[in-house]
Amino acid sequence: MNPPNGAPPVITTDALTKVYPGGVTALSGLTVRVEPGVTGLIGANGAGKSTFIKILLGLLAPSGGAARVFGHDSDAEGERIRQLVGYMPEHDCLPPDMSATELVTHLGRMSGIPKTVARERAAESLRHVGLHEERYRQIGTYSTGMKQRVKLAQALAGAPRLLLLDEPTNGLDPAGRNSMLELIARIGEEFGISIVVASHLLGEVERVCDHLIAIDGGRLLRADTIDSFTQDSQTLMIEVTSGTAELRAELEGRGLSARPYQRALLVPIEGDGDGTYDTVLDGVAALGLPLSRLERRRHQVEELFRDDDQREAADVR
Amino acid sequence: MSVETPAPGAPGAPGAPGTSGAPGTSGAPGTAEAPTGSGAGVIHDLGYRGYDGPRLGRRQIITALAWHSFRSSFGLGRGAKAKILPAIALIALCLPAIVNAYTMSAGGPRLISYDVYVATLRDLVMMIFVAVQAPEVVSRDIRSRVLPLYFSRPIRPGDYPLAKYLGFTGACLVMMEVPMLALYAGSVANSHGGSAVWAQTRALIPGLLVGLMWAIVLAAIGLLLASVTGRRAFATGVVAIFFLLTYTLAEILLQIETATAVVKGRGSPLTALTAPSLAEKVSGLFSPFTLFDGVRMWFGATDIGDGVPKVGGFGAVYAIVLIVLLAGCLAGLLARYRKAALS
Repeated sequence: MNPPNGAPPVITTDALTKVYPGGVTALSGLTVRVEPGVTGLIGANGAGKSTFIKILLGLLAPSGGAARVFGHDSDAEGERIRQLVGYMPEHDCLPPDMSATELVTHLGRMSGIPKTVARERAAESLRHVGLHEERYRQIGTYSTGMKQRVKLAQALAGAPRLLLLDEPTNGLDPAGRNSMLELIARIGEEFGISIVVASHLLGEVERVCDHLIAIDGGRLLRADTIDSFTQDSQTLMIEVTSGTAELRAELEGRGLSARPYQRALLVPIEGDGDGTYDTVLDGVAALGLPLSRLERRRHQVEELFRDDDQREAADVR
Repeated sequence: MSVETPAPGAPGAPGAPGTSGAPGTSGAPGTAEAPTGSGAGVIHDLGYRGYDGPRLGRRQIITALAWHSFRSSFGLGRGAKAKILPAIALIALCLPAIVNAYTMSAGGPRLISYDVYVATLRDLVMMIFVAVQAPEVVSRDIRSRVLPLYFSRPIRPGDYPLAKYLGFTGACLVMMEVPMLALYAGSVANSHGGSAVWAQTRALIPGLLVGLMWAIVLAAIGLLLASVTGRRAFATGVVAIFFLLTYTLAEILLQIETATAVVKGRGSPLTALTAPSLAEKVSGLFSPFTLFDGVRMWFGATDIGDGVPKVGGFGAVYAIVLIVLLAGCLAGLLARYRKAALS
């Protein structure tokens, strides 16, 4: 599996399907490709994110299709993949009666790092995530934010080329979320490690990711770069400082369908758009209203999940 | 800040308003973030390094985890409290060897046989050791839900219980063999002449083998039972109850059979040995400890009389039951962690 540029992509899946013995379908024909960088894996709880990660780690066998990580088949070469991948689970997974240094050193060794190197790497990983003197204390005494950092540090300890982070901001307060997201962005940018961040919080993922994969009910909603997710839409957003209701009536009188959105009006653009712009400007001028905003609206990532029509259209299958 | 400041050096101006970020950044070539940015940059530059060196293979990772488990079986790498019980248990088991060395130095014979050692003491201490330390080895990881961190490492799901088993077997082996070696050391020190030393050595070897048998079976039973729950106290209870119930059952059966044999007029328990009834032969099959005795007897070891199954021609059955028990426990342990890897 070698694309033109030589190096295999970080992750590729081909019609990946997972049906649990009970008959629950967690993933259904998921085909995605993850490039280097930070990728958001977004979906509501139960959308199949954790199942997807378990398959990538080679811990679950897919019921159909295949997944490859750095070109290694997840089902056949799980051990090789786990050597290249660091995993941060969603839930609590830290023994309270061990110090962070001990734990991260031990888990580094479990990743195959020799003893002395594992010790150095543990200290470094913990420093990178912002734990300094605290790292000698027992983990039981840590705050939730510190524990999340230890979980991230243990994933780094094995010197991975890819990090799989499952809901890394879980349980954190707003400030904690921000610093965790900053940390993730920094690891992606400066450490040269590819990252997949699974989250149900779009607003967060949006901030740190280059790419986005949206899944729902085990199926791909959409996979693209963040930019294209938020690209220009075929909608004009008009805001006037007063007289919004009058303007709406006026525009509808001129044959445009305008609907209110917060304090603004949304007008679908027809044709190449010039005609719509002109009609809107004419309408505003006719009423003599103070125009404060007239722009093409950008898609919000949230719309993916709110707007069912759009979901159908974007469903790549 | 000082984006276009004409004098970048300007060191001796502490009062300079707005430009007093970092004192030593004289060479900063006019980037807005220079003062704070370079401070953070230093950390980053020291910072992340990948690792391209050699990695341990799966076998070495298992060895490392086994060693880790071995150490934690004795509370090593844990707090002082965790070391108390294993230390007391080991000392208790070594006491008879010390007493023996003392009496032998006073000219007496060796009091204790290697394979039986001091049966009741060893049964009791090993029960306690396994019941308390097996949960230390497996239940903690279940309780703190750390298993996913192991399973996401380059090992297979079966490797985790394998390493735990190897480590804990090693710990049980230390508990069994160290007292025996102490006994041997004390005996050899008080023996005179090569033939006496050779006799001690020949007596020691079956003892060491008995220790090995105990260790590999008790570790498997202990870990399987302890791995059913993450609550340590509960896990200890499960292991202890299993040992006590089966032990008591087997002892009661043995006592009944021995007593019946006497009452039936077949004479003393000693003659019962020569012609054991079927019930007598099978009564020891219900507890690991009487199974050990049975197998030991099958190999023609020391008979300590009371409380030991009269295996008669059933010796092989004892060995088979013991092997089935061991295999069952190991299979259960594997299945338990295979399931855990998927959840």
